Amino acid sequence: MSDETASHHDKAAEEAQMRAVWATPGGWRYWTSVNNTQVGLWYGSAAFAFMLFAGLLALVVRAQLAVPENDLISANLYNQAFTLHGTVMMFLFAVPIFEAVAIFLLPSMLGARELPFPRLGAFGFWSFFIGGVFVCGSIFFGAAPSAGWFMYPPLATSEQAGIGADIWLLGLSFIEVASIAAAVELIVGIMKCRAPGMRVNLMPLFAWYLLIVAGMILFAFPPLIAGDLLFEMQRMFDWPFFDHTRGGDPLLWQHLFWIFGHPEVYIIFLPAIALLAMIIPTFAGRPIVGYSWIVLAAVGTGFLSFGLWVHHMFATGLPQISLAFFSAASTAVAIPTGVQIFVFIATMLAGRVVFSTPMLFAIGGLAIFVMGGLTGVMVALAPFDWQAHDTYFIVAHLHYVLIGGMLFPVFAGLYYYYPLIGGKHMSDRVGRFAFWMMFSGLNITFFPMHIAGLRGMPRRVYTYPADIGWDWLNLVSTMGAAVIGIGMFAVVVDVTLHRRNAPRGERNPWNAGTLEWLNEPEENWGVRSIPRIESRYPLWDQKTLAQEVNAGEWYLADAREGRRETLVTSVLDAEPEQVLRVGGTSYVTIVSAVTLGTVFVALTFKWWIVSLAAGIAFLCAVLWWLWTGTGEIPEKEEKDIGRGLSLPIYVSGVKSAGWWAMFITMTGDGTAFASLVFGYFFFWTIHADFTGGLAGPGMFWPLAALALFALSWGATLAAREFNRRGGIAYARILLLSGALLTLAASAAGLAGPWAHAMDPTAHVYPAIVWILVIWVAVHGALGFIMQLYCLARSLAGRLTARHDMDLHNVTLYWHFMLVTAGVTFIVVGLFPEAI
Amino acid sequence: MWHLLPRQVESLWTLFTSPVVWALHFLACYVGAAIYCEKPGILGADFTTLRVAIAIITVLSLAMIVVATLLAWRQWGFGTEDPPHDDATRRGRKLFQGYATLLLSGLSFVAVIFTAMPALFITECLR
Amino acid sequence: MAVGDAHPLQHLTGDNLSVQRPCRAAVTLLIAVALGACSGRQSALDPAGEEASQVAQLFWVMTLGGALIWAGVIALALYASRWKPHAVSDKAAGRLILWAGAVFPVTVLTALLTYGLWLMPSLRPFAQQQAASLTIDITGNQFWWHVVYRLPDGSEVVSANELRLPVGQRVEFALRSADMIHSFWIPPLGGKMDMIPGRTNRLSLMANRTGTFRGQCAEFCGTSHAWMALPTVVMPADQFEAWLIARKAPSPGLVADDAGARLFLGQKCGSCHRVQGIAAEGKAGPDLSHVGSRLSLGAGLLENDIENMARFVSHSGFLKPGSQMPFYLTLSETERSDLSRWLKGLQ
Repeated sequence: MSDETASHHDKAAEEAQMRAVWATPGGWRYWTSVNNTQVGLWYGSAAFAFMLFAGLLALVVRAQLAVPENDLISANLYNQAFTLHGTVMMFLFAVPIFEAVAIFLLPSMLGARELPFPRLGAFGFWSFFIGGVFVCGSIFFGAAPSAGWFMYPPLATSEQAGIGADIWLLGLSFIEVASIAAAVELIVGIMKCRAPGMRVNLMPLFAWYLLIVAGMILFAFPPLIAGDLLFEMQRMFDWPFFDHTRGGDPLLWQHLFWIFGHPEVYIIFLPAIALLAMIIPTFAGRPIVGYSWIVLAAVGTGFLSFGLWVHHMFATGLPQISLAFFSAASTAVAIPTGVQIFVFIATMLAGRVVFSTPMLFAIGGLAIFVMGGLTGVMVALAPFDWQAHDTYFIVAHLHYVLIGGMLFPVFAGLYYYYPLIGGKHMSDRVGRFAFWMMFSGLNITFFPMHIAGLRGMPRRVYTYPADIGWDWLNLVSTMGAAVIGIGMFAVVVDVTLHRRNAPRGERNPWNAGTLEWLNEPEENWGVRSIPRIESRYPLWDQKTLAQEVNAGEWYLADAREGRRETLVTSVLDAEPEQVLRVGGTSYVTIVSAVTLGTVFVALTFKWWIVSLAAGIAFLCAVLWWLWTGTGEIPEKEEKDIGRGLSLPIYVSGVKSAGWWAMFITMTGDGTAFASLVFGYFFFWTIHADFTGGLAGPGMFWPLAALALFALSWGATLAAREFNRRGGIAYARILLLSGALLTLAASAAGLAGPWAHAMDPTAHVYPAIVWILVIWVAVHGALGFIMQLYCLARSLAGRLTARHDMDLHNVTLYWHFMLVTAGVTFIVVGLFPEAI
Repeated sequence: MWHLLPRQVESLWTLFTSPVVWALHFLACYVGAAIYCEKPGILGADFTTLRVAIAIITVLSLAMIVVATLLAWRQWGFGTEDPPHDDATRRGRKLFQGYATLLLSGLSFVAVIFTAMPALFITECLR
Repeated sequence: MAVGDAHPLQHLTGDNLSVQRPCRAAVTLLIAVALGACSGRQSALDPAGEEASQVAQLFWVMTLGGALIWAGVIALALYASRWKPHAVSDKAAGRLILWAGAVFPVTVLTALLTYGLWLMPSLRPFAQQQAASLTIDITGNQFWWHVVYRLPDGSEVVSANELRLPVGQRVEFALRSADMIHSFWIPPLGGKMDMIPGRTNRLSLMANRTGTFRGQCAEFCGTSHAWMALPTVVMPADQFEAWLIARKAPSPGLVADDAGARLFLGQKCGSCHRVQGIAAEGKAGPDLSHVGSRLSLGAGLLENDIENMARFVSHSGFLKPGSQMPFYLTLSETERSDLSRWLKGLQ
């Protein structure tokens, strides 16, 4: 009896301490929180707000088009409005909302306390928020981008595009950084932070989808970042990448943009479908039928989506054989999509369906999406696309796909997961009203657009003549848009006003089977204790699980050391490997995001000094962040996590989360680099003599640079090995000499084009050589900083023979560095000689 | 015959084998055709040669996918058990991996054939 | 028995009589609307050319198939979620995924892809060695079209903002751009082709019925993208020949010693516009040699009459935002009228 009271008392103390460790800061410090619950909520609210803003822009656009030859708004403002509508919906709503949902839900779904890099997540949010406000705000100064959301040069590189184009490029580059940060966070989270026993065959489908999507981001966003770089170099410094008079080509941008742009559609669509894959089993009251088929569909779509980009360029005059390959892949991608839909139908068929509000949105979304998918197959055939391309048929198609495949599932998710935010339900009556308004409004708005498009109405026209037969179609569309607006307004009212006074509902109100429903909205810790999982739907199959978890009977039930901790498990079978200490509340994330934001904003206005100062400040902030917040040597080697299991706190190398983060980041970085190399060879293919008769960087300097980079790589690698074996002094000397070699290598790399007086504004050949060499030099500079950082850590006693995580990660960076340098210098040095 | 297949590998990456083959096949077809049509002199052959080359890499790719399929079939225990493969055991996980890999190989097989179909119909660098 | 049969039948017809008429009227109306919805001088579904006809056929095949598939999937989804009497077994549900989710799409898509690929090379046949009977060079500008007819005898006819084509003859186009990316598109004749700076794209079209159509720039090219139309007239071959011959020479309406002509040269209109027969050789704006005979002004913007001509001369930038043409607000009422009367006379 007294034992029991004592243990009860212990548990209460344990719980209190855990609550203190995971507490959300109060007052204005609330905004320095990095916990996934707050960051996810901010992320989602901001994305939702941007969506409403873009929706208002859409209403303005529709109002202008309601009647022919309308002069409600000027052509210029109209062009800004539709550009911003597309940009905001794509970059500030569709992609971020999935990052928001993932950050909010994933940890509790996986049975983790937190994602592995909470501060990175918070940094990503602040970057996104600052960039988003900057881009959206521009329209109030009449300075919004106005060249369409895909910013085709030469229009977008011309004087006519004004500062709007810079705002687009720099603002969005900043946001792309946030997306890649989220991808790193999600991949490591899903692969390494699942609850013990959650093998890959037991993972919630949401996690499967998100893993694939995060992987896609790594290969899809970097080409756009590379494109942005080339584009901004042309706008700021007149480097002629897209200027045909100096050997450039506007089509290169279209390639880079759509290599990003088409996978992006699936990056938006898959997470939304992932929500349906969680919702439908709950309301069918049974496990999903065809779990493996979903994995097939997600992975298959992920791959195929990279073979579709040229279907946005069917009318650019590429050889028909090229078009045909992409036509074939665009047709093939319908197969996994079809599988996906039939998995849902089969699950409903084999279960007893409760037709709730989330299900209403799910089925409604399906009906809309299937229609968009079918018109998608139509435009996959080049001959039909030659007619439909750039018309309102496409506008109709893409809205059916995005609204049915993304907006409706997200609303289904909102109604489904809302109880997790504050423990309250949203109103069913409002929900059904909103659904029917949005569903009918959507069809009234967008169905007539198919016809308008086929009757010849091109997209992006600010007005049209009365006598072509587009007038009544447009009037109907405008009325439909108003109906959607009413539905949307109802949801906004429901979320913001009505729900405040509603009573607290029960936990797990839908009787769902997955772990996130263990979550208590009041608590920040994710799960009270981390259970061992034995089923895809643990809450259905492990009856006492909820009680055991909440009683703190499972793993890692205490925070005795006063640190935020979560479990790291193995990739395939989720066997516990490590106790990972994650970052807590901190200013550093906001400071980093603000300084980096200042760099981008200052560049937009060409305030070079401000930009440089902010850049240095950002670098300092990041170093401070790393120095104080990562690679910390723990006070003890192992921690007892309960049930007789004791795990190491510090691991380095392949097993550490940091190593994975570096690997993933560098994969994305490598993709951006590959896009630049693609640019080099693109210019080679389109010109008889791509050098334009100009001198290249020669062979000597590039090869010298390569040799020096290789030496520096060797020094870093040797430093790691010496350090591991206790040869600390040798390691330090090697790191120092490596750093010096890096400086020499970067200088030698730059010396090539410099010595041959290559003028990057004269022709595209010197420009692309310079950009590659500069890319390597900048990476060299980062490598240099990393080498010195490790040296400093070693001198400060924060890096020892046993605790060498930093050195492992830096060595990994250097592997990528060597490949980057190798490819660059062989290409710029040897390729011109070889041909 | 089964002893001819390589040893079983414990990795998540095996799942992606067939789609990677599709991706490489697609890239080879696209890059080959693009360079051929932009720089006819470099490869120094006529369009038929290009089509034959596409046919050859298609057959090679399909063969690789078939091998991946066989490996997946073995990992799936030659289909002795039906899905859903949700046992909380190492065996359950392996069966799932095998089955998912098998399905993906099927999709990749079809996708490779789709990608090769243009070479049947298009006979010059028309633009 | 017979009575029993007749009764419900009578009942049915009786009941239907009141419903049927509006029903039939609705169906008739629907068909009329559907047909009406496809027609139009800029409609891809009201084809007047080889390519457009074949693509319209492709469209109808796909639309019909698509509608059936959509209805089937939605019916199945509703059946599964609302109407089914009892749950089916996991095995049966799994079979549904295999057959309806994988095998059926693969079959349909293979057939469709074959159709599409088979169509591609045949839609746009090009003459060997540039031996086309008629080649037309079109250059896109913000926001107008420069049109040059290249005749087999090596001569050329320059025009702008309007296209004339002979019926039943294959015509090849060389498409270029002088500034931004534009896209050349006459929906009733065929699909579009972009005009990209630094590149020359080719297109081949054949009109198979006469009529007046409307083409339009399909790639967003700047502020007045909406007002970059290309009126297109498909004429019988002999009339087309006659039209071309007339355009080879200066306009018969050209009176060089006219107040309008003097104003035209005095205001330096000739530094941007070309008028055959006088000292106006500008290339920055549309050729005006026979501007009076065109169907429209300002690339499909306004009806071609003297009043609109005067409006366009003085207010082009209002009518067409972003247009490169300066305002001529300082011209007096008489000057404007002289100038536009003279221009309209360039038939």
